[in-house]
Amino acid sequence: MTNILTNASFFESLFKYEFLQYALITGIIIGFLAPLIGSFVVIRRLSFIADTLSHFSLAGLSIGLYIIHVLGYTFISDPIYLGIIFSVIGAIFIEYLRGIYSNYKEISMPIVLSLGTALSAIFISLGEDYSSLVFNYLFGSILTVTFDFVILILIVSIIVVVLIVVFYREMVIISFDQSYARLLGIKVRSFQLITTLILAVVVSLSIETVGVLLVSSLMIIPVAAAMKVGKSFKNTLFIAIMFSEVSTIGGLWASYHINIPSGATIVLINIMILLIVVFYKRIFTRKNLAKKQSEIILNEKMK
Amino acid sequence: MMRVTIDNLTFGYDYRTVLKNVSFKLNSGDFLAVVGNNGSGKSTLVKCILGINKVPNNKILLDDIDINLYKSFINIGYVPQKFDDFNYEFPITVNEILMASKYSKITEAEKLELLDKIGILEIQNENINNLSGGQLQRVFIVRSLMNNPKLLILDKPTVGVDHDNVKNFYKTVQELNASGITIILITHNISESKDMFTHVLSIIDGEANFRALDRGEKEDD
Repeated sequence: MTNILTNASFFESLFKYEFLQYALITGIIIGFLAPLIGSFVVIRRLSFIADTLSHFSLAGLSIGLYIIHVLGYTFISDPIYLGIIFSVIGAIFIEYLRGIYSNYKEISMPIVLSLGTALSAIFISLGEDYSSLVFNYLFGSILTVTFDFVILILIVSIIVVVLIVVFYREMVIISFDQSYARLLGIKVRSFQLITTLILAVVVSLSIETVGVLLVSSLMIIPVAAAMKVGKSFKNTLFIAIMFSEVSTIGGLWASYHINIPSGATIVLINIMILLIVVFYKRIFTRKNLAKKQSEIILNEKMK
Repeated sequence: MMRVTIDNLTFGYDYRTVLKNVSFKLNSGDFLAVVGNNGSGKSTLVKCILGINKVPNNKILLDDIDINLYKSFINIGYVPQKFDDFNYEFPITVNEILMASKYSKITEAEKLELLDKIGILEIQNENINNLSGGQLQRVFIVRSLMNNPKLLILDKPTVGVDHDNVKNFYKTVQELNASGITIILITHNISESKDMFTHVLSIIDGEANFRALDRGEKEDD
């Protein structure tokens, strides 16, 4: 099967077209970053936070589009910067609300999500000529990423990896056992705020790949699948990143050949991997149980 | 190794007073057994000593320093009664938990010795989600010892642990105590450790009765 536009295979075109190279590099970086951050999010039971931040980020993107296209100001070259700023504001807002409702921390999510969605709806309705751009933000447009964006995301990923390596121990303790982290004198709130801020930046950058509506899937689904088969913490992180890369590269390849949206394809492959892992695990566990049971029965008979 | 002084501590949540005028003094190497019915305030007292419950200044002193001046309680080993605070299901091995919790200069050999003593050497690379309740309890006991504690607080540490391992566990506690570590043990089953403790604090409805036991050489501490 080949692409109806070019008649060339994905890999042939990859050498020819810069935009495809940028897309692939962006995909690989996000495919690495999203599950890495996502793992810490999942352990803290904050899976919904990525969705909340992406919706709040959309408010920034819509306001950015409004400023550029309706008001005509060009001091913001790309709405993505406002998207990042809004995502960070959303993150701070969430942490603030989590402090206020200490026994109902999850309340913070729908509040921030609704605010983001409401602001987005208003600013999208104010402009007419950018609905296709809004569509890109909603469902992703990895094929339109620029060289500047690739550099931006590369810098962010280096910062994130350095932070995780340096504070690996603190992040593990805080994620698994906050009370114990406090006992050890770790500044839990500051660390949580920093992790949430990193998350906010990664979420807003991931919007380019799969869009606002699918961003959380990049962070959560590979981790959810890896959790079922991981043997240790590091092993689980590694498997999650592998699953994520397979679906990102596979998704780009498949979407190129079948000519369907890449973001959605990446998410669908992610879900397919998850289902395969869950079924494999179930069958494997059952077989193991049956084997153990028959061993016990055999041993009893031998006696 | 750590002196614990509690001076007329009264503590409550909202409108309910849980601890009333609790006072006691432990010297380095003392072994305190805290007894009392469920809800009598034992765990609340522990939370006060660990700085989780905020108390007024100069009510609790560790090594004669007000607890509110401490930035970390790394010198206190703590084994909680329940592990509700721990996030399960995500894979992590025993070793990974221990290494993340390690802030002191305990060597690899010392760590392995600890694991062996507590009886979980063979499961050090197991995913904690595959462990039994008793095994998990022992993992948290080893964790509490990772940073060379001067004070060890054990909140009903042997609930769900089988008979042999309860014996092993108290043997280790006794050794630790003999090396000078102050121990506070909250227990329902005081007979398990009856030959070991030097002091008893019985709490009834928040009111505490502290007494030292007449045990010859341990009394001199």
